[in-house]
Amino acid sequence: MRDGQGMTRRRVLGIGGALGLMAATGLTSAAALARRPAATGAELRSAVPLPPPFQVPLPIPAVLKPVGASGGADRYEIIQREVSAEILPGVRTPLWTYNGTFPGPTIESRRGRPTTVSHRNELPVPTVVHLHGGRTPAASDGYPTDLVLPAGWPEPPQPAHTGTGASQPHAMGHGGMGDSRAMPHGGHGGHGGPVAGAEPGPTPMHGMNDPRAVVSRLTRDYTFPLDQRPTLLWYHDHRMDFTAPAIWRGLAGLHIVRDDAEDALGLPAGPRELPLMIADRAFAADGSLAYPSLDPTLRQRPGVREPYLAGVLGDVILVNGAPWPVHEVDAARYRLRVLNASNARHYELEAVTDDGRRLDLVQIGADQGLLAAPVTHRLLPIAPAERYDVVVDFSGVPIGSLVKVVNRLGSGRTRDVMAFRVARKAADDSRIPGALSTDLPDWRRSEAVRVREFAFRAGQMHAGHGWLIGGLPFDPARTDVTARLGDVEVWRLVADVHHPVHLHLVGFRVLSRSGRPPLPHDAGLKDTVSLRPGEGVEIITRFDGYRGRYLFHCHNAEHEDMGMMANLEIV
Amino acid sequence: MLTVAESRTTPTGWTLRAVVSAHAAAIAGQPVFAGVYLSGDFDGLSLHAAGANVVTSIGYLQLIVAIAVWARLRQAWPFLATAAVVAAETVQYFAGLDGTLWLHLPLGVMTIVAVVVQFIDVWRRPLLREEARNA
Repeated sequence: MRDGQGMTRRRVLGIGGALGLMAATGLTSAAALARRPAATGAELRSAVPLPPPFQVPLPIPAVLKPVGASGGADRYEIIQREVSAEILPGVRTPLWTYNGTFPGPTIESRRGRPTTVSHRNELPVPTVVHLHGGRTPAASDGYPTDLVLPAGWPEPPQPAHTGTGASQPHAMGHGGMGDSRAMPHGGHGGHGGPVAGAEPGPTPMHGMNDPRAVVSRLTRDYTFPLDQRPTLLWYHDHRMDFTAPAIWRGLAGLHIVRDDAEDALGLPAGPRELPLMIADRAFAADGSLAYPSLDPTLRQRPGVREPYLAGVLGDVILVNGAPWPVHEVDAARYRLRVLNASNARHYELEAVTDDGRRLDLVQIGADQGLLAAPVTHRLLPIAPAERYDVVVDFSGVPIGSLVKVVNRLGSGRTRDVMAFRVARKAADDSRIPGALSTDLPDWRRSEAVRVREFAFRAGQMHAGHGWLIGGLPFDPARTDVTARLGDVEVWRLVADVHHPVHLHLVGFRVLSRSGRPPLPHDAGLKDTVSLRPGEGVEIITRFDGYRGRYLFHCHNAEHEDMGMMANLEIV
Repeated sequence: MLTVAESRTTPTGWTLRAVVSAHAAAIAGQPVFAGVYLSGDFDGLSLHAAGANVVTSIGYLQLIVAIAVWARLRQAWPFLATAAVVAAETVQYFAGLDGTLWLHLPLGVMTIVAVVVQFIDVWRRPLLREEARNA
């Protein structure tokens, strides 16, 4: 064909064939090597025998009783302590808990009625409590360096400019301290940085200075005004550098906000309203929770072993702390308040009957409360820290049969989540109103005074692997974003791999996904948005509520511990 | 000898050269825009999407020109190669929309290589009627 040019037909076919072979090899190896669907994180394998699914009854976390009420506010007390509990049948597992249970006790509040929770730290390490989704003044928002030190933990080194002894308490004039001592503190925020000192004994977290940290000893009062839409919130540890392993060990609980308007809707309630905290874990041979910490005492060196840098996944799916539980239900509508409390695992949930039929998952609420109108899903994606309020109708399901909740992104044992056994016929006067709420903000692009762009990406941090926002690892002393109270802003978030991005203080609405309209499950007011690989999401919010220092970060807990947080200063 | 050969390229041949050149130029922008986007510039995505529309459109245009080349110059190779490229670009387009990155990234690289090879192929020799060259 290419005679005269020195190319024989045989050579052309040879070159073409070689190129074709390369293309085919490349694509088939991409198909074989890549995770399909994409997943971010590495799975730990349990070293103990795992129970069969759907045997353990679903626990419902107890609702905590207030210890007192005064001035229109409720007061609660929670003790953070180590316990040993039976999660897998016949296996004792040491846990870090709120009040001795995992999940911690559920707190139920009324909208606008302030709630003060006094936390006492009897754990071996400092803690910080953050109420996820709470519209909370900065002093009680659980900033990662606002530590509650346990007894016996060395006094933090003082910043040079204070010139005071390490034990001298300082009145800080902030609202969230209660009876505890407060002191400015300059030694937190390590990220494995260089050790700045040679104190003997445990030397917690060295490196970056945070002169604004407010540290207390043993106890701290967190006050939540809860002047916000009724919804399912959750509280969890948020300690600098060690959030992921602390949540993994059990420091997470639910906090539900209700109001009269929601109560009046006629949604399934009482025993037909079920909170479902889904979390994956793995178990070591001695029954303890396996986690690839570099420092298993969680005292000094943050981080996880190299293979788990993208996130830690477990091979056991817990719902409300029980492995693959089963729950007996009436043949009626149930309101399921689903939280993904996993560190890194994403789920795509569906409810499948014994004969393979998929039940409708009627979404009535998002992270920040009720939608305007119900949205019906068959498949519901849920990223770490997201919440979905869904109603499932078991009335058409044969009595005695199972409805399995399945994770389409899982494989093997992690495909199952839990099951409902439809036990009996029952009357059902619940309903799903066509109009659920009318108070959703409808911020428009034209109102936005600013558009900001953030890349959530892997990168280098302190000469190691880290996760960066806008090219920078977290530094408590650096203000990344300054927003004026009351301003509407559009944020454009771009991800390399999965990043569930969470803003403290405010709810937001999803404007677009990769330049296209939001997905059905993006409806309503959210505080965490799931960015999938290569995806860009636009959100819009108004920064209102309170001034002060807040955070936004990736809620893949390992990413968050490895730099993927940034400061949001509301002025 | 080359100038002699160049002078004999027909208008149909020149059209193929033009459209393949435009195709190569357009497709070279795609990794650029993807890089801009993944660096956090949200507008990079709309450039990448617009680029995908342009590249895919040029691909279909090239397919028509390649049919003309086949009919007038009795050369089937440009058509067969273009058909393969257009098929790849179509898959690539939907893999991108779908976020199927395991496919989108390698296929994108391969498509660019294929268009570059075509670019070299149409410029390295005159495009004339098969029987004229065989004569």
